[in-house]
Amino acid sequence: MATISINHLSFSYPTEDGQKPLTLADVSATFPDGGFSLLTGPSGSGKSTLMKIMSGLYPKFGGVITHGEIQLNHTPISEIPETDRGQLIAMMFQNPNQQFAMDTVERELLFTLENQCVPPSEMMSRVDRALEYVEITALRHRQLNSLSGGEKQKVALAVIIAMKADTILLDEPFASVDPVARQLLLSKLAKLQHEEHKTIIISDHDLEDYDAYIDHLFVLNGTGNSLTLLNETDAQEKMAAFQRQDTSDQQLSLPTKVDQPVITAHDLSLTAGTSTLLKQPEINFFKHHITLLTGANGTGKSTLLMALSKLHQYDGTLLLNQKEIAKIRNNQLYRQVALVFQDADQQFLNVSVAEELALSLKNSQAAAYFKERLPGFLEKLQLDHLQDHVVYTLSGGQKKKLQILEMLIMATPVLLFDEPFTGLDFSSLQTIMAIMKQVAHDCHQTMLIVSHQLFGLDALVDYHVTLANNQLQYVEGLA
Amino acid sequence: MKYSNAWHLRDIILLTLIAIFFGVIYWVIGPLYNVLTVALTPVGLGPGANDVVMGIWVMAGPLSGYIFKKVGSATLGEFLGSVVEMFLGGQWGASTMISGVVQGVASELGFTFTGYKRYDWFSLNLSVLTTTIVTFGWDMIRNGYSKYHIGLLIALFIIRLISTWIFSGLLVKAIVKLLDRTHLMQTQSR
Amino acid sequence: MNPSLKFLLAVLIALEISFTSTWMVNLALAIIGLLIILTSRPPLKRLVLLFFVPLIPAVALAVAILLQSNAGMHFALVLFTRIYAYVFVGSAATLTTSVSDLVMSLEQNAHIPSKFAYGFLGAFDLLPKIVSEVNVIRAAGNMRGQALHIWSPQLYFKAILASLDWSENLAEAMTSHGFSEGAPRTYFKQIRVHWWDWCIMISSLLLLQIALFGLHLQ
Ligand SMILES: Nc1ncnc2c1ncn2[C@@H]1O[C@H](COP(=O)(O)OP(=O)(O)OP(=O)(O)O)[C@@H](O)[C@H]1O
Ligand SMILES: Nc1ncnc2c1ncn2[C@@H]1O[C@H](COP(=O)(O)OP(=O)(O)OP(=O)(O)O)[C@@H](O)[C@H]1O
Ligand SMILES: [Mg+2]
Ligand SMILES: [Mg+2]
Repeated sequence: MATISINHLSFSYPTEDGQKPLTLADVSATFPDGGFSLLTGPSGSGKSTLMKIMSGLYPKFGGVITHGEIQLNHTPISEIPETDRGQLIAMMFQNPNQQFAMDTVERELLFTLENQCVPPSEMMSRVDRALEYVEITALRHRQLNSLSGGEKQKVALAVIIAMKADTILLDEPFASVDPVARQLLLSKLAKLQHEEHKTIIISDHDLEDYDAYIDHLFVLNGTGNSLTLLNETDAQEKMAAFQRQDTSDQQLSLPTKVDQPVITAHDLSLTAGTSTLLKQPEINFFKHHITLLTGANGTGKSTLLMALSKLHQYDGTLLLNQKEIAKIRNNQLYRQVALVFQDADQQFLNVSVAEELALSLKNSQAAAYFKERLPGFLEKLQLDHLQDHVVYTLSGGQKKKLQILEMLIMATPVLLFDEPFTGLDFSSLQTIMAIMKQVAHDCHQTMLIVSHQLFGLDALVDYHVTLANNQLQYVEGLA
Repeated sequence: MKYSNAWHLRDIILLTLIAIFFGVIYWVIGPLYNVLTVALTPVGLGPGANDVVMGIWVMAGPLSGYIFKKVGSATLGEFLGSVVEMFLGGQWGASTMISGVVQGVASELGFTFTGYKRYDWFSLNLSVLTTTIVTFGWDMIRNGYSKYHIGLLIALFIIRLISTWIFSGLLVKAIVKLLDRTHLMQTQSR
Repeated sequence: MNPSLKFLLAVLIALEISFTSTWMVNLALAIIGLLIILTSRPPLKRLVLLFFVPLIPAVALAVAILLQSNAGMHFALVLFTRIYAYVFVGSAATLTTSVSDLVMSLEQNAHIPSKFAYGFLGAFDLLPKIVSEVNVIRAAGNMRGQALHIWSPQLYFKAILASLDWSENLAEAMTSHGFSEGAPRTYFKQIRVHWWDWCIMISSLLLLQIALFGLHLQ
């Protein structure tokens, strides 16, 4: 049982020149005990920051609290010893990687219990229970490295359950989780709330599916200076506004005979470690079309994109414009096909936003086109005022927008996207999709997009391929 | 900026990660070393390949020294890297860890001689010099360099000095310059 | 054998044979190392690699001595066998111990601060990601029209930034999983130093001294 109250909290990431711009300015709120709260707000508003302060990670790991405090059961967080904190509050992170210290699932759970000084004799039963609770007993001895994003998040939840934390904070935990796993995780959280009276606070942009679960909706505004608990009607309204049109009856067409393949696979097989991900007798991806690729977590979508960009080995034939991808030299290949990585940081090469954009413009295959339109794009994406910011300190959503933009600028004929829309707020999402559509059309690009989020995609994509049971298949339905 | 000498969890992870990254990058050029060695062996200059690529091998030391600005960071960086290298099954087996310590201490000395107060081009060059001298001394023992003719010995020393200067001096300086601009390292050592 | 002592022994042996020149001892150590390696039943590929990897430096050193010095055949043989002893003794230790066991032993037996033990382990477990990250960095460069070479600062810059990012995430996650520097912990798996560990260690070293000394007298 725990009440979290935020009292006039101001928080800053001090800059080099000694300035202290406030990321959070005088925010106050109380998260009700035993409630299931959803925290939402535009990208860059400070949700992750707030969560890390609540869990006691900040200011230890960065930034300064310039004013106010957060209290947990009426005790300021800073006064709670680190070792006791785990039983009060635990956090699950946005990025499923780099969340674990140990190599296997079981050992990570044991490591956590050791940290809490649990007597060794009790450990195994607690591990058993936590794994059962999340229904991942089968993963027990798996290497954490070999798990998909969704599986890792389930393990992360199991760790939190084993810790018996009263309050569970989840920072966009479903960014890389498919709808099935997401439903499972949500229902487990609801069960924890109802049966064990845990307090649950989730941050997310995407309000879909939460309707049935949440008790409270908190909104952090764009500049991080007001955190409000919406009343029942406002909350309903906001949720309803977000209610997507049902994607299940949206129809796309199947490829036609006149379509020209740009990527062709024969007897393609992909493996990762010991598991076979794909066995594909035949598949084509078509020139000047935008194709959506979906599939459950861990089916191998990312792996396929990696194979297409020569970052993962494959067996069989995989042709790009009739040439075997594995045999094309790197500097040739990457002028024809480029990958927008799932992790935006991987894309950046320089220090500031301006330098990043300049590099793309310099090496672009359609420099003139973009030179003219760039200011407009930047403004639409609300990146125009960030030119001299260091790219690595942008918020998740800002990074994503910059990353997509700078890869669009390259105007590579074939562009692959791995989950480009994660962490984007609603309006950014629509803007970036419109820009992608425009650029793909104007620069005659072929795009292959992996995405779990389907909202609005019917307007962007031409074709839809699903990956299930080791097979790729064109389908008509979007969902 | 005030730097404390205490090592925190994050520093240790960072140091190890950097060491592993450098090991892996070195690994990628591993073939370079082997090709060079094979090419030079028939004339009896095989070990010279070691001197040619030495600079890349010892980069992690001065870089860690520079990044962390703590007593022992160069040594620890090289040492952790060597432990990883040993687990990867490198070509020098159990002696890798000894070399790690030797190389680490070698590059550390450059910073020690400046009292851990100067982190500039001068201390970096000093570190290059100490690295070359000390690692060369260790190879006199381990790899039997001491038995070579004096002419060859001098030539190898100069090659090593140049290689170390290019990589642990010039390149490290360029890397640090990029890093400084991000201001991301400042939150370190808190 | 206790992991900490095993590694200590391996390093002591390596240190000792670095300063001595008895090829028979080197050879014997290599053979013993090989036998231990075989008990761990490594895959054949690994074993073959183990024989070939040291070959290049070993031959290079031996030939250099023959051609570039007056030290002669005996010393060439010493250097050649020394490399094999290094590698086989080292692999005998690494192939029979998991990193996590070593780390736990260092924490519990050698009393290394746990932050070093788990900091190292957490980083080490990212190794597969690091290998692919290096490839990703180079590909990301190419995709933006910038080739990254071994002498390109950007290559290392990106590597360090990835390290920085990961170290932050990992440290925060470990802290969130209840890890606290210097705080007491319990251990699920107790790793002990038994009397026979010391026996193996001391007798091995004694034997080595006797062998070296004995052969030296000859
Ligand atoms: N380590 C940091 N150093 C400096 N500034 C930072 C740092 N982390 C975040 N910021 C800045 O603080 C603001 C809030 O970031 P935060 O990540 O908390 O936003 P968010 O609401 O979680 O966004 P998103 O929904 O995109 O994840 C952003 O403007 C970001 O640029
Ligand atoms: N070493 C390994 N051993 C066994 N399986 C592995 C190994 N490495 C990766 N895998 C598996 O390969 C798959 C990789 O999937 P990939 O990341 O391509 O999936 P994805 O479809 O992109 O999933 P997500 O939607 O979560 O991003 C996962 O199921 C993972 O469990
Ligand atoms: Mg966030
Ligand atoms: Mg994926």
